[in-house]
Amino acid sequence: MIYREAGQFKTSYAADQAIFPIRQDRIGVALILLVAFFGVPFAANDYFLSTIFLPFLVFSLAALGLNILTGYCGQLSLGTGGFMATGAFAAYKFATAFPDMHIVFVLICAGLATAGVGMLFGLPSLRIKGFYLAVATLAAQFFLIWLFVKVPWFTNYSPSGVISAPPMKLWGDVWVTGTGATAATRYLFCLSVVAVLAMLAKNMVRSSIGREWMAIRDMDIAAEIIGIRPLRTKLIAFGVSSFYCGIAGALWAFCYTGSVEPGAFEISRSFQILFMVIIGGLGSIVGCFLGAAFIILLPIFLSNAPALVGLSISVATVSHMEAMVFGALIIFFLVVEPHGLARLWQIAKEKLRLWPFPH
Amino acid sequence: MTGMLYELTIGPFVAMAEFPLFFIEVLVGGLLSGVMYSLVALGFVLIFKASGVFNFAQGAMVLFAALFFAGFMDMGMPVLVALVLTIGVMVLLAYSIERVVLRPLVNQPHIILFMATIGITFFIDGLGQQIWGSGIRSIEIGLPKQPINFGEVQINAFDIISAFAAGLLVAGLALFFQYTRIGRALRAVADDHQAALSVGIPLQTIWVIVWTVAGIVALVAGIIWGSKLGVQFSLAMVALKALPVLILGGFTSIPGAIIGGLIIGAGEKLGEVYWGTALGGGIEEWFAYMLALGFLLFRPQGLFGEKIIERV
Amino acid sequence: MDTTVHAQGAPAAQTAHGKRIGDTLLKVENISLSFGGVRALTNISFEIRKHEILAIIGPNGAGKSSMLNVINGFYHPQEGRITYKGETRKRMRPHRAAAQGIARTFQNIALFKGMSTLDNVMTGRLLKMKQPFWMQALYWGPAQREETVHREFCERIIDFLEIQHIRKTPVGRLPYGLQKRVELARALAAEPELLLLDEPMAGMNVEEKEDMCRFILDVNEEFGTTIALIEHDMGVVMDISDRVVVLDYGRKLADGTPDEVRTNPDVIAAYLGESH
Repeated sequence: MIYREAGQFKTSYAADQAIFPIRQDRIGVALILLVAFFGVPFAANDYFLSTIFLPFLVFSLAALGLNILTGYCGQLSLGTGGFMATGAFAAYKFATAFPDMHIVFVLICAGLATAGVGMLFGLPSLRIKGFYLAVATLAAQFFLIWLFVKVPWFTNYSPSGVISAPPMKLWGDVWVTGTGATAATRYLFCLSVVAVLAMLAKNMVRSSIGREWMAIRDMDIAAEIIGIRPLRTKLIAFGVSSFYCGIAGALWAFCYTGSVEPGAFEISRSFQILFMVIIGGLGSIVGCFLGAAFIILLPIFLSNAPALVGLSISVATVSHMEAMVFGALIIFFLVVEPHGLARLWQIAKEKLRLWPFPH
Repeated sequence: MTGMLYELTIGPFVAMAEFPLFFIEVLVGGLLSGVMYSLVALGFVLIFKASGVFNFAQGAMVLFAALFFAGFMDMGMPVLVALVLTIGVMVLLAYSIERVVLRPLVNQPHIILFMATIGITFFIDGLGQQIWGSGIRSIEIGLPKQPINFGEVQINAFDIISAFAAGLLVAGLALFFQYTRIGRALRAVADDHQAALSVGIPLQTIWVIVWTVAGIVALVAGIIWGSKLGVQFSLAMVALKALPVLILGGFTSIPGAIIGGLIIGAGEKLGEVYWGTALGGGIEEWFAYMLALGFLLFRPQGLFGEKIIERV
Repeated sequence: MDTTVHAQGAPAAQTAHGKRIGDTLLKVENISLSFGGVRALTNISFEIRKHEILAIIGPNGAGKSSMLNVINGFYHPQEGRITYKGETRKRMRPHRAAAQGIARTFQNIALFKGMSTLDNVMTGRLLKMKQPFWMQALYWGPAQREETVHREFCERIIDFLEIQHIRKTPVGRLPYGLQKRVELARALAAEPELLLLDEPMAGMNVEEKEDMCRFILDVNEEFGTTIALIEHDMGVVMDISDRVVVLDYGRKLADGTPDEVRTNPDVIAAYLGESH
């Protein structure tokens, strides 16, 4: 009964096409945004902000990028880490080469640079699909990381090889990176970026470009016959996806860890983001957030839960258990609900249409 | 700048010609390490041929098998007993995979199955290390490790033996596929699941058999890799390199897996030795993938694979 | 509600008999197609005239689907020419065919299973939606207006084919007959001048077939769309088509009105064996 749609009539197509056509959804999202913007920074301490909420935001953004490419357009990519690294290093180069550039522009430029790289590695997708494409993206992953490690120009010839993100501000005295930036400011900045990009993504997937992506995913031969141009559509997917992953990487380096290091973007990162997308739900915007939350909270749960029931488990075991639980969950979701947590959430909402009534 | 250009294009070939014996040493070393890639790729091909599943977990299976073998031996068992026990473990693994993963996902698109095998990878990684710990183990089965001299060329005895063992395995598999009843059934299943079912071939049993055979191949690869490098986690990641091997050789061809492995192995070593200094080293990290990428662009079905024609 | 959409100034027709058939819209000449060693089509020539309904019939394996695939550019013939709207070429490209007003349905339903009915029909409008993707990301102004305008058009087609009740359902979950209707809707959404239907009534019961016939005739009469359809049901063929082309083993056996074809001895021999 909470989720009753009856009585909500739409009198125009525009209303039906609104981003949240159902009133309860609008209220729900408004509440979440309210809490996110005003509640969390005050209620949560710096530790929580820095170690849970910030990575949650950055991961969600990367998951958005990968979901656009793999979930909506059906192009499997194992190069997410490499693209995030590209964004991080591009942001670093822009920020250091143009010290007066505002951080928003630095992010946009980093995103565009990554989009270019992404489209370059996406060119093979015209001729190859499925796992073959995944291997091509692996080439991107390994090559890009090698590039950033080996070519000193990227680290501005730093002797130690460890570079920290330069301090940058939004305006006046509001620092969002560097030592002067508080956890709350960094959090709010990332939240704003992610909220805007998520909305853009949602708009794209419900417009023609989204339909073109999904057509390519579902049956690319038929898509071509009704006039969709596969290369153009796939390249746009690679471009947009890499744009998002690039910004995610830049935010990771600038706001989350404070340092730009290739080690944070190895192949394991690519797999991690892929898991978020699978568990959260392929082809779902909401799923990206659910998946990111899940993957972040799971290790915390695993390390704390045994203590709650009185068992003590070694650190090594926890990390092995993590791997096993991840693996088992991937299989579980693929078997039981290939559309992931997002679909489970949808089913829950449908049940809420009637609850507490049984029929 | 011209120095760099020279070092990248002409220099390496000059170096090869100037010291031909060294070149042969590197080449042979590369080929032999390529044999190991071929072994891992072989497991992939077996499973892909029989079930159309791209088994990302093949590398993890290599590590898993090696861990159990090393573990059993460390517990004091003789080589043969450890071998038999490990094969038993791999049979159990094959059976569980068929039951828990393959059967429920039987009609899903290949991409879903592929991602499920990624899940399997993580699961058996964690399980193996949980049971045996994450320390590095070594495998000593009495194989010689010292180099032998062929004239002025030095080649490792170990590499020769492992190449020989791999060759035996491949020959054995080829015979198995060609001449036994089960082998024929496997080929039928690889061609057409539905048709195979309709002539009474028990699909599920076939899959258990295939995954077991792949497991045994993984075990052999694991023993060889493990003896050479020690049994450690990086083994599973090294197996990622088998993917470019498959691209080169085609996903469905056993000779392709062999030749692809040799090319990748040789190419990597040569690339590292002759081009490595010019590019700062570490070529091996990406060379195989870039080579595969190049192949994908010009000959997507690999050297021996089948061209796929799409119908509407 | 007036749902008549006039395609390119074509006059609304009254009955099948009083219909004005225009001149040649598409002509294929001496088309031969082989796959490896298999000859699918040998030296086929015929034409399709504006506003008519042409049926392509023949036993299984005669090459009918291959012929449609050649027309919309999915297969490229080794020999022969295709003339469409006055332009002659050796082979069509699928994208050009779609852009020039050729739409089709498929024997084995080529819908996008992950999308809803409405979304599938909207994909038929893709060639007419010009806004760049970044404007769509903003979903503001021209992008939003374009989306709404095309949504309206698709809704009219959905009304016309009576599939309103399933517009938000993912098509993968629909029964076969409804899927075929959605595929027709998607083809119609492109406002085609030439509509190619590959066995649109396969697997349907009598009621569904009657509905489909009605839709096909309505499309032809109201929008003036030229239709070429592959069909096995002779009753349907005789009833709704203006002309019939008969294929057998990749060759054309006959070409004419339904009555002419029905009494053609070669056709009778091919279908029924030699008659004595």
